[in-house]
Amino acid sequence: MRRVTGRILPIIALAALSGTCTSPDTVAVPGHEGARKSSAEIRAERRAYDGAPPVIPHRGFGADCVNCHNDRGRSVSGVGYAPASPHEGTRSAGGTIRCMQCHVFRTTDAEFVASEFDGVAQALTSGDRATAGAPPRIPHRVVMRENCLACHDGPGAREAIRTTHPERTRCRQCHLPIEKLDRFTTVTDPVGMDLE
Amino acid sequence: MKRRRFLHTVGAGTAGLAAFSCSDRERAERLAGSDAGIDEAGLTWSKAPCRYCGTGCGVEVGVKDGRVVTVRGDVKSPVNRGLLCVKGYHLPGMLYGEDRLRYPMLRDGDNWKRISWDEALDLIARKYREALDESGPDAVAIYGSGQWTVFDGYAASKWFRAGMQSNNVEPNARLCMASAVTGFMTQFQSDEPMGCYEDFEVGDDFILWGNNMAEMHPVLFSRILANKRNNPGVRIVDIGTRRTPTTDYADMYLEFVPGSDLAIANGILHCLVRDGKISEPFIRENVVFKRGIEDIERIGFGSWGEDGLGLEPGDGPAEHYRFKDQGRDASLTELEDFLADYTPAKVSDISGVPAAQIETLGRIYGDPGRGTVSLWCMGVNQHTRGTWMNNLITDLHLITGKISRPGSNPFSLTGQPSACGTVREVGTLAHRLPADMVVTNADHRAKAEEIWNVPPGTINPKPGLHTMDMFRAFMRGDVKVLWTQTTNPWVSIPNLNRIRREPGDGRFLIVSDIYPTPSTEVADLVLPCAAWVEREGVFGNSERRTQHWHKAVDPPGEATEDAWQIIQVAKRMGMEHLFPWPEDYWHKPMYEEYRSFTLGLGKDVASYEQLEQTRGLLWPVVDGVETRYRYAAGHDPYVKKDRGVHFYKAKGYGEKAAFWIRPYHRPAEIPDEEYPFWLCTGRVLEHWHTGSMTRRVKQLHQAVSEGYVEMNRVDARRLGIGAGQIVLVASRRGELELPASVGGRGEPPPGSVFIPFFDEARLPNLLTLDAMDNISKEPDYKKCAVRIERT
Repeated sequence: MRRVTGRILPIIALAALSGTCTSPDTVAVPGHEGARKSSAEIRAERRAYDGAPPVIPHRGFGADCVNCHNDRGRSVSGVGYAPASPHEGTRSAGGTIRCMQCHVFRTTDAEFVASEFDGVAQALTSGDRATAGAPPRIPHRVVMRENCLACHDGPGAREAIRTTHPERTRCRQCHLPIEKLDRFTTVTDPVGMDLE
Repeated sequence: MKRRRFLHTVGAGTAGLAAFSCSDRERAERLAGSDAGIDEAGLTWSKAPCRYCGTGCGVEVGVKDGRVVTVRGDVKSPVNRGLLCVKGYHLPGMLYGEDRLRYPMLRDGDNWKRISWDEALDLIARKYREALDESGPDAVAIYGSGQWTVFDGYAASKWFRAGMQSNNVEPNARLCMASAVTGFMTQFQSDEPMGCYEDFEVGDDFILWGNNMAEMHPVLFSRILANKRNNPGVRIVDIGTRRTPTTDYADMYLEFVPGSDLAIANGILHCLVRDGKISEPFIRENVVFKRGIEDIERIGFGSWGEDGLGLEPGDGPAEHYRFKDQGRDASLTELEDFLADYTPAKVSDISGVPAAQIETLGRIYGDPGRGTVSLWCMGVNQHTRGTWMNNLITDLHLITGKISRPGSNPFSLTGQPSACGTVREVGTLAHRLPADMVVTNADHRAKAEEIWNVPPGTINPKPGLHTMDMFRAFMRGDVKVLWTQTTNPWVSIPNLNRIRREPGDGRFLIVSDIYPTPSTEVADLVLPCAAWVEREGVFGNSERRTQHWHKAVDPPGEATEDAWQIIQVAKRMGMEHLFPWPEDYWHKPMYEEYRSFTLGLGKDVASYEQLEQTRGLLWPVVDGVETRYRYAAGHDPYVKKDRGVHFYKAKGYGEKAAFWIRPYHRPAEIPDEEYPFWLCTGRVLEHWHTGSMTRRVKQLHQAVSEGYVEMNRVDARRLGIGAGQIVLVASRRGELELPASVGGRGEPPPGSVFIPFFDEARLPNLLTLDAMDNISKEPDYKKCAVRIERT
């Protein structure tokens, strides 16, 4: 069957539908009645490698993405829970953010040519702690994931990484990022450019 | 299918990846310029610019066990500050399609035979030698691209010009930004923009001329959007022939009849002059007025079937297009008279744009209190009067003095990663030498001969064939040996039926690539190449930033880098003196030799050491300091502190910039009763150019898997065509069946359709017209006439 490029076919799972789950960390697989997968597995399936932007797991609804994927997420009647955007400043972005720059729909399951690409695996490691009671450090890169609560709180959060204290909104007061994860090298700043 | 048979013969998918010779730790330190290259997960990280468009985003490349397993946006890159687009995030997959070319393959009738590198290189050297001896330097050619690294382009140019004594060196960039080159050269006598990407944060108004920036330069567009978020007064104006995802973010959209952008620009000039919104002190000090040949009968379009358009006498298709413009002095008074024909009302009649919108643009360009950045790419360059259109956009900035100032510049964007670095700076166009020099100038030839250490008189003063003539000459048999590298002309050349080739025609075609394509299908010899971080490289991006990367992984099978292939052939032809460097250490000395062309000319590229240690630098780089704004005092070291703006490169204009008076000309082909629709071709966000790389990335292919014809819903309803329905699109040159897209991401106006060109099974270049810009010889992929039929 020929498919029209740009036209979005109803596809794949609406992922983080934890609000509809019976088991806390698995979700139903649409089109396969009774089948369930761990949310971690579904998360990995949507990414070319750990860290890649996920493909969009639903059809287009003709609305701005940030209407639902705002900084807290939103329950969408008849569809499920739209997880919050983890990106900084989404709420204030309004019509000046272009999600489709990085996130694309999946309109077919076919491949043009089979690929031998084997991306870096999903890292589900916990953050390390200085002492037994110390707050864990952030075990992942923070760039593009500045809104911690998008993944660590709310109906869209995976149980394994849900915070016990979402009311304490200034996460990085206690949880430190690991600088090395964000900057692998110490090259000279380009001359004359004022880098942030 | 021929190509699949080719694959089986190759035995693709079996080659292993050799281990690196030095230890992981040593390698990491070398790649990263520090001791922090390996992370806890055992990934070795290095820096590289993205492989795709001319933006030049910085990426960090994560390698494990000799394979690229991840990338991430480089937060230290001033270009993208950690952000990428969907193509950039999926770069690693581009390397690992299972049909990677791994061995040299020689055509053997309808089959392919694996041969050794020695056999392949000997054969190429023999074929070139025979052609040279029998038919002279006009019979040999090499055709590369804006994806050639600086090394590839420099090796090709030096080999051809100093070794073969032929200037038949061309890049596919002739098809994408040659009009920008001739635009800048005719106005500043020096190529490339004066501004930099910082303009996107500092500017107030962004005028997009035929430029779907949201899809084609997404990361740069996101910088403009960030500016708009932070400064609500920022405005985006989209001047286009089709609604695109960019239009969704525009404050004003002007939809114009294809080709009438020439009239619109003149209409804006009319408003500026009429309302006294021009900067007379700036003009007095910095601008001269020029006017060229304007007779449409004399200029023509250089296309096949042009005679049928009633433009030139004679029979048969145009074979050579050699029009040469002649400029003469003009004046502001002459401009004022000229602009009387371009009142907003008259321009509205030509363009279909309401006069009020032209007046609004006049007020935007004429407001001295707001920074204005004009942006353009293929819409303006791939235009039968593309140089004129480039001139007119820059004219708007010259007449208002809004140039060489942070946030006020004409900014030409490029579509390939080193269209600037390799094609424009190294000089791989048929008439060019490095650093803005040309083969027609005796002093320039002498300088090149001195640096290249070849006898005076070696370099041929006759420019080589421009791309369109080169392929026409190959089909005629005038060019007997043609080598293409990092490009896919049998998808990307317009009017493909005109270069339909059956091997065994007495000519010899060598194609170097990383995957099988329609171009390898018609080759006699196919060479496998190392891609991107499988080799060392230097690219130059749209903002004059030169960027370097080290090799991070080995290429598959026996693949090698393009420059190495050229050097080996040159050595076999007795031209080893051109490449006197050790086999295991030639990148840096070759770059430093190239760099010596640029020093002291305002084109100074950074040193190799500095490139290795930084995220690239904007030339001119003097005393290790880059230049954000060319020609501007306080920024450009070649301009005296109290000089304001100084166009010091334009010696021929008294060190002033040239304002070119340019009229409106109609396009080469206009819809009529038989072919009632305009056809525009182009790209989509997910795929890059002919798709040979991006289609092998699962996520990108699954997002947009095949070509389509995008129609207006009114036309679709009138013709009874539904979304997804297969339709026939036909032009005077060919026809094509493909699905209709109605109500998709873009929408052309009624009477106009759009087809992307990434899908090799649905080639819009079977339909396009091989008409060219009169000055740059860049073809127009944006305007021809087609009809649509239900199937």
